[in-house]
Amino acid sequence: MKPVEVSFTVNHRLVRLTSLPNRSLLDILRQDLRLEGAKDSCGGEGECGACTVIMNGRVVNSCLVLAGQLDGCTILTIEGLSRGDDLHPIQKAFIEAGAVQCGYCTPGAILSAKALLDQVPYPSREQIREALSGNLCRCTGYVKMIEAVEMAAREINRSSAINTESQNE
Amino acid sequence: MSRSSATIIGGSEKRKDAFRKVRGEAVYAADLPFPNLFHAKVVRSPHLSARIMNISAEKAREVMGVKAVLTSADIPGSKTFGTLVQDQSVLADDVVRMAGDPVVLVVAESERASQQAASLVEVVYQPLEPVLDPLSALQPDSPLVHSGGNLVTRYDVQTGDPEQGFREADVILEETFYTPRVSPGYMELENSTAQWNAEQNSITVWVSSQHPFEDQRQIAMVLGLGIEKVQVISAAVGGAFGGREDSSIAILAALGAYRTRGTVRLVNNRSESFLAHPKRHPARIHLKVGAKKDGRLVALHGVVHLDTGAYASYGPAVGGLLTEVVPGSYCIPHVRVETHVVYTNNPFAGAMRGFGSPQAHFAIESMMDILGDRLGIDPIEIRRRNILQVGDRVFTGVPVDQTASSLPICLDLAREAVSRFENIQPSPGKVNGVGLALAVQTMGYGAHIADDSTHRLEWLPDGRVRIFLGAPDLGQGLAIAAEQITAEVLGLPVEQVEAVNVDTWLAPKGGTTCASRMTYLTGNALIKAADQLKLQLIEEAALIMNIPPDQVSYNHGMIQIPNGRNIPVIEFTSRLADSGQQLVSQATASFPYPPEITPQHLPPGMPHVMFCFGAQVVRVEVDPELGIVDVKDVVAIHDVGKVINQHGVEGQIEGGVMMGIGYALYEEMIQKTDSKWVDSFTEYLLPTCEDVPLNLEKVILENPETSGPFGAKGIGEITLVPTAPAIANAVFRATRRRVTKLPIKMEDLLFE
Repeated sequence: MKPVEVSFTVNHRLVRLTSLPNRSLLDILRQDLRLEGAKDSCGGEGECGACTVIMNGRVVNSCLVLAGQLDGCTILTIEGLSRGDDLHPIQKAFIEAGAVQCGYCTPGAILSAKALLDQVPYPSREQIREALSGNLCRCTGYVKMIEAVEMAAREINRSSAINTESQNE
Repeated sequence: MSRSSATIIGGSEKRKDAFRKVRGEAVYAADLPFPNLFHAKVVRSPHLSARIMNISAEKAREVMGVKAVLTSADIPGSKTFGTLVQDQSVLADDVVRMAGDPVVLVVAESERASQQAASLVEVVYQPLEPVLDPLSALQPDSPLVHSGGNLVTRYDVQTGDPEQGFREADVILEETFYTPRVSPGYMELENSTAQWNAEQNSITVWVSSQHPFEDQRQIAMVLGLGIEKVQVISAAVGGAFGGREDSSIAILAALGAYRTRGTVRLVNNRSESFLAHPKRHPARIHLKVGAKKDGRLVALHGVVHLDTGAYASYGPAVGGLLTEVVPGSYCIPHVRVETHVVYTNNPFAGAMRGFGSPQAHFAIESMMDILGDRLGIDPIEIRRRNILQVGDRVFTGVPVDQTASSLPICLDLAREAVSRFENIQPSPGKVNGVGLALAVQTMGYGAHIADDSTHRLEWLPDGRVRIFLGAPDLGQGLAIAAEQITAEVLGLPVEQVEAVNVDTWLAPKGGTTCASRMTYLTGNALIKAADQLKLQLIEEAALIMNIPPDQVSYNHGMIQIPNGRNIPVIEFTSRLADSGQQLVSQATASFPYPPEITPQHLPPGMPHVMFCFGAQVVRVEVDPELGIVDVKDVVAIHDVGKVINQHGVEGQIEGGVMMGIGYALYEEMIQKTDSKWVDSFTEYLLPTCEDVPLNLEKVILENPETSGPFGAKGIGEITLVPTAPAIANAVFRATRRRVTKLPIKMEDLLFE
């Protein structure tokens, strides 16, 4: 197998690298780019969601995305979600709601929530449950995660309403 | 200890690690960066039982980048390990006893090379006849898993005269219950990184573990090193649930580092985690109960077989705790429980959240409903007539104190929930069923086993206080509970108090994070340590100011002196630091095992003397055509003594209920064919977000445990214990099908 050269953006930065085409995005993130918020839990089967990242606006299991598919793609990982110490509203809500225990599934769950709220600003509880259903968590029982996503949605809508108002003025 | 003015206790203080965790910055052991890191891979047995005839490693050694291919012969010290029974081979030498047994350890410069080399190791096996059923394993002609026989432990504990009790009974019922082999299923796979320190001839091992000090002991034993040469450091832990009370991964990583004199990382894949790490014991529980017509239980005889698989692990202790709780929360005058912990060639079982209690409760709590139905007494009433009262003795002879007064309260609250749920209209085409179960869970290791837990406080020069925990936070929130308790006693904001991870070269010995013991023991130890720390501060402050200590007092981070002046603590801690001093205080807590409440005739680990109580009510909807069970409503009622952290307690309940739903409906690690097991999340179904009941109510009772920190006791385990029997009881109400084997399957509800 011949290595391929791919260029794509990760967290708004352009990345160019040469890789065997069958290496997973998860390995590239963790090993080459040292972005270790994405985790492996199921062993690269796409079952657990611990490696979730957002690719071209959609949630993917990075363990199932191969290097050969990356050219021209836009990737957002958990490391790209906050600006400095300023947390994204979903991150804040996960802390506020007490939705974090061991934390291993947390980055993936937050990114699933982000992809949902980008598409559906006012999700129903059913939509939240569906959006997080690919992120296995053994500690929290998911209840506070669902509450956190609802909390974040309220906060995002509130601040975007304020922004719209101030623009109108 | 009760401090009624507590202000930090009971709130939802934010855990400090959450900020790192939501940013993906929490460092688990496999995230630690090292230069020149080697990667290890284990070659494992594909057989249930086999003799190793030959191991050929030449081809593996030829792979570029391979540093070592290690077998049992390369182990410098003990070739076996195990906490209770030293029966696990670090690397198998003559036989393998289960699929997944480690045989060869390959260390290479890259993961790819280690995997490639591992695939080239040639092991010649001569398959042997396996034994997979614990009852067969006890037959005289059974193949032996270990040369000493297949019976690991047998308990036979009795009170009263069960034969006489059954003669007095108006009704006698018998039933056999079965529970599955389930995985702790934590998200972070087992892993460890070990580094050889050439200049010190020592080794540092980073672990994801519940018991770093036990890892240290076993690594030293296997490497033949003095214990002082082994440093074990706990990284962030990605969940544990009992499954991380096993040192195998840390030992293998350490062996790799020792032999290559390098830094070696070993990470299990999910299949290895399923096969070669502890699971919950499958149980066969035969119950015979005798009762009077009015429902009062007079006798119980339980015969239990626990399948511990190829290794004992914590099986003997699980069997002990299970034995103690077979009668559940009920006072029965004549009881006999016989428990057998048995070796088989199945994937091994060990500690898992609840530690025998979930199995026992599925049996007794199903049986209570069966008995009530037989006598025409409703499920609440049959329980009310039998629950333990304050001062009653459980059948091991231990009296239950006033905490048992929460049992009737649990039942009252359950009654209210049952009638509310029974009035809910089921969805179209579905049938409703409402069920409940009570639960009791013990705390601590049990009598005659050292249950001490030591923790240390240091007042830093900058005025902050550091907690050196003696046992790791597994993600459940031990650190924030410890920080809140310390901050409360010292009158400091929580931000000024910081708990740090366990490093066996720095931390005091806190024992294992398990057995619903940590909040109680850590809290009590830290209260003592904080009180001592205040006294030390007062003495040092008096000395510095040259006034008598009795004229100095401490309040909320301030030293107060007679003229009314308040001086911030930092004035003294920094002054002390200038002269090379620091205020340090360490304290130990244990459980009250006084001889008068601890029967002496029982084996070590028995009995337990402290109990947690709770009840859960469940409404299910069953699709009568498809047999699908949906858990719609849950009320979880739990007495925690005193809430230390509200979110922490709620999180334990929510996570426990979901684990209980998995145990009831989805999870089972079954044998597929021969040596192939369900060993992935594709086939082993963990509950997902969509399985969360739409209504999960938490009712948290605070009936103070007078010996606990601010009245608190354990909550980590009991939350999953009543869930499965409550679901089984609800399914019976919906379908009139009594399922006696978990998990409840669709076909159980469809076919006669």
